[in-house]
Amino acid sequence: MALPPCFLLLLLLILPPGLAVGLQGLGEGAEMAAGLPELELLELPELEPPELEPECRRLLGAFAEGSAALSGCLARRARPVRLCQACRGHYSTLLGLYRDIALGNSSESHNCAKSILTSDRLQIVVTLSEFFNETWEAANCANCLKNNSEGLSNSTVEFLDLFNKSLTCFEHNLQGQAIDESPNNYTEVCKNCNGTYKMLNDLYNNLQKLNRHGSESGHSAHLCIDVEDAMNITRKLWSRTFNCSVPCSDTVPVIAVSSFILFLPVVFYLSSFLHSKQKKRILILPKRIQSNASLVNIQEKYS
Amino acid sequence: MANVAKKVSWSGRDPRDDDDDDDEDGDGPAGESTPLLNGTGHGARQFTPSSLLRTGQLSNVDLNEDVRELETELPRPYPNEIPHNEKLLSLKYESLDYDNSENQLFLEEERRINHAAFRTVEIKRWVICAMIGILTGLVACFIDIVVENLAGLKYRVVKDNIDKFTEKGGLSFSLLLWATLNASVVMVGSVIVAFIEPVAAGSGIPQIKCYLNGVKIPHVVRLKTLVIKVCGVILSVVGGLAVGKEGPMIHSGAVIAAGISQGRSTSLKRDFKIFEYFRRDTEKRDFVSAGAAAGVSAAFGAPVGGVLFSLEEGASFWNQFLTWRIFFASMISTFTLNSVLSVYHGNAWDLSSPGLINFGRFDNEKMGYTIQEIPIFIFMGVVGGILGALFNALNYWLTMFRIRYIHRPCLQVIEAMLVAAVTAAVGFVMIYCSRDCQPIQGSTVAYPLQLFCADGEYNSMATAFFNTPEKSVVNLFHDPPGSYNPMTLGMFTLMYFFLACWTYGLTVSAGVFIPSLLIGAAWGRLFGISLSYLTKGSIWADPGKYALMGAAAQLGGIVRMTLSLTVIMMEATGNVTYGFPIMLVLMTAKIVGDYFVEGLYDMHIQLQSVPFLHWEAPVTSHSLTAREVMSTPVTCLRRIERVGTVVDILSDTSSNHNGFPVVESNPNSTQVAGLRGLILRSQLIVLLKHKVFVERANLSLVQRRLKLKDFRDAYPRFPPIQSIHVSQDERECMIDLSEFMNPSPYTVPQEASLPRVFKLFRALGLRHLVVVDNRNEVVGMVTRKDLARYRLGKEGLEELSLAQT
Repeated sequence: MALPPCFLLLLLLILPPGLAVGLQGLGEGAEMAAGLPELELLELPELEPPELEPECRRLLGAFAEGSAALSGCLARRARPVRLCQACRGHYSTLLGLYRDIALGNSSESHNCAKSILTSDRLQIVVTLSEFFNETWEAANCANCLKNNSEGLSNSTVEFLDLFNKSLTCFEHNLQGQAIDESPNNYTEVCKNCNGTYKMLNDLYNNLQKLNRHGSESGHSAHLCIDVEDAMNITRKLWSRTFNCSVPCSDTVPVIAVSSFILFLPVVFYLSSFLHSKQKKRILILPKRIQSNASLVNIQEKYS
Repeated sequence: MANVAKKVSWSGRDPRDDDDDDDEDGDGPAGESTPLLNGTGHGARQFTPSSLLRTGQLSNVDLNEDVRELETELPRPYPNEIPHNEKLLSLKYESLDYDNSENQLFLEEERRINHAAFRTVEIKRWVICAMIGILTGLVACFIDIVVENLAGLKYRVVKDNIDKFTEKGGLSFSLLLWATLNASVVMVGSVIVAFIEPVAAGSGIPQIKCYLNGVKIPHVVRLKTLVIKVCGVILSVVGGLAVGKEGPMIHSGAVIAAGISQGRSTSLKRDFKIFEYFRRDTEKRDFVSAGAAAGVSAAFGAPVGGVLFSLEEGASFWNQFLTWRIFFASMISTFTLNSVLSVYHGNAWDLSSPGLINFGRFDNEKMGYTIQEIPIFIFMGVVGGILGALFNALNYWLTMFRIRYIHRPCLQVIEAMLVAAVTAAVGFVMIYCSRDCQPIQGSTVAYPLQLFCADGEYNSMATAFFNTPEKSVVNLFHDPPGSYNPMTLGMFTLMYFFLACWTYGLTVSAGVFIPSLLIGAAWGRLFGISLSYLTKGSIWADPGKYALMGAAAQLGGIVRMTLSLTVIMMEATGNVTYGFPIMLVLMTAKIVGDYFVEGLYDMHIQLQSVPFLHWEAPVTSHSLTAREVMSTPVTCLRRIERVGTVVDILSDTSSNHNGFPVVESNPNSTQVAGLRGLILRSQLIVLLKHKVFVERANLSLVQRRLKLKDFRDAYPRFPPIQSIHVSQDERECMIDLSEFMNPSPYTVPQEASLPRVFKLFRALGLRHLVVVDNRNEVVGMVTRKDLARYRLGKEGLEELSLAQT
């Protein structure tokens, strides 16, 4: 259908309501094309979409602003990840707006749900809202927020405090290191910050354990992304950059013990081969007519 | 006749001795008609008619010569004691009676039961199938839940220990702890199997195959076996052996079926007085096949695969109604497992987690396949076939060694413990040496071992070794590309191949399905990775798909199942798209594998010296006739027989016969007439127990007439003849067999060829086939062992020897 949008709208106005519903999808698509990029399509007359109530328009506008704010926040807080801390306000606002549109608080907002959410193929508002929801779920932000998602939960606050403390510790000790001019020697950091790091690590492991217990059957065993990322950064610094966690490798005893265990079966099989009495089977002669003879005959004739 | 058999040897062990033996027979004075070798039974009482028959048939052989021959034979270094080998048939195994004895009691009962009653019998069959399904599903749940918890506990303990010692040093203690834990758990599992019920060892699939084939394996469907099997499989999986819990489910299902259908347990001495109609081998077999199907279906979440498995293994006896019932049992079993596990996992009534092993969902869009990949799949099938053949060949030698040298239970237990310890040690060393670290992504890894990896990373070798095999398989299928590096996979495949091969055949109850899948998944994934490396990451890069194909190829190469395995794999992956490639892979693997060595289950059946009847008689055996195949002389009974004679025949240990042809003859004369019927040992014992003697019947008219129920009550464990007391007076009484014998036993003429006899025997599931001459006189008897002796070996037709085991 390559009809110009204004013509379509005209058609809509003329047609009886029953038919107009059928064409609504088309009409809305046209409206969006006409309504959004106002700068390019200035020559088109500003047509008020007849089916959108002013209340719904207001809601839509609010949603647009909210989603813009949230996506901006998400992108800005992508690295290092601070999504849950920074964007939770935006998210909850948007969630409220969407709820207003979808469920509404008055009778006319029923119309809003219908006209905004479900009257075209693209359903952009739904898609946007789904995208935000999914992102929020994937980040598992609910995990480090309070139940009513008003603020960070106590454990998260505690964790972040400790995290900041260890970062400060790293910084302090590194400043001393910088003068030393030996980039691979981080013994100072390792020694001084070991306590903080251990505490942080333990706290993280505890949180993980609690989380796994709290949620049944391992579903959503993730902590929220902020905490996870913070821990990842610290761990990487600690074990990759500073190379602090050097586990004791005791290769010699391990090899000794394992070769001892591997040696046992050899002894076992040899000894049972040499000492165990081989199991003999007693042959039973079958009661048959000339069976051997006939088969022997076959054999002899053949050979 | 000359082109029938190129070479026949008595035993593969010592051909020189055999030649001597045969030569002497050939040079013997009897010439063409070699003297009858009457077993070891000097004292074997040959009843007059049969000896008469013998003289009638072979007038140039007399008893004296027979005895002389035996006596000259005794001092000769005849190899009557040989080491165990594959070319033996054990006397331990008997046939099941699938043939219905249509005696007068049977006819009477049929007349008494009206049409409606037969309908309730049909309903009862369905009820039993439902119960089989439910109980099999519950047992599967039990195994699954217990294994999950115990294995979880074990791995957590070891993991904590390793984590602790990684910091402080002393990892050798962790190794010791792991090895000791494994060994002690496996010890318990092995002790109960070795000392209480040895038949519960292994996967149980060979045993069930034999049962459905018609071989009665002692103790195979007892309640005790079930208990040992279930406990054993839990312990061996928890013990960290390279085993799976799927194979034993099939055996468990079969035992459950056999138990329920009888409505009683002889082990517990409880008789519920229900389902008495089904106390027969024929009925029991049908239910056992349903149970096996239910087992497969519970193990793999594959109801159709289960039905096909039953048909493939026991397919000579089935009909449409039976198939439908089996399918019903399978469905119920899957459903029960689903619902119970869904409740256990906290999402009640979500029925989407079928089977003990769940291969997880393969995403259709991501993992399609194109025509270019077909040659690659076929190549994988070839690799699977070769590796499977190698596995079987290695396992063959190992099993032979085990049968010959490690036959004492305590040695078997020690062996199992050693394997468990070595499995742990190998796993630990592999993990220790691996430098393949992967970042932890959520909770896909059940027990992430950090070891020498940086914080927040785990050792990727540990996901393969430090886990139950089922979980490892699923990880290999579904972990995103890049989770394993090729080195890890290569080492894992190599090690696990030998471990699994070493483990199968231990005296623990455990299956080979999962280890095979795991080996295949590992090399398949390796294959996929190298393929995408070679083609610079082109479209077919997903290693999970190749892991699945590799798993199918390896499993097909080892067990050589065809149709049922294809369907099982398809159902377990929940993906019909892969049906065709899986089928191709399995076909190739089977063809390639069969070229080298036969399938693992068939091999073990052969090593157990089971008289297993294959689908067809050996192809080059048409010139062998019933006359050469049959056993003769036959111990016959007269229609009206003296009790003393019957008791003597039954208690003669040298001739442990189970069926006796009944011939017409006047007790006072030596005149022999033709065959009148066939009576079984079990029937005779019941008759003796109830003292159904002619004289007594005359004495007390009030005596209850014997009914079919009396025979069924004694089934399946008929008392031995020694437990029946017959007084001296009673020995002189007469017993009338005409009412109880099967009046129309199957017979063949002497000239019938072996394939013909074989076909009759196999198709009807016979136990005894009487060979008669043209005057309807009994000449010989063909039993399962007579037919199973002939086998197509490498050099043509071979004959197996009978042996006491």
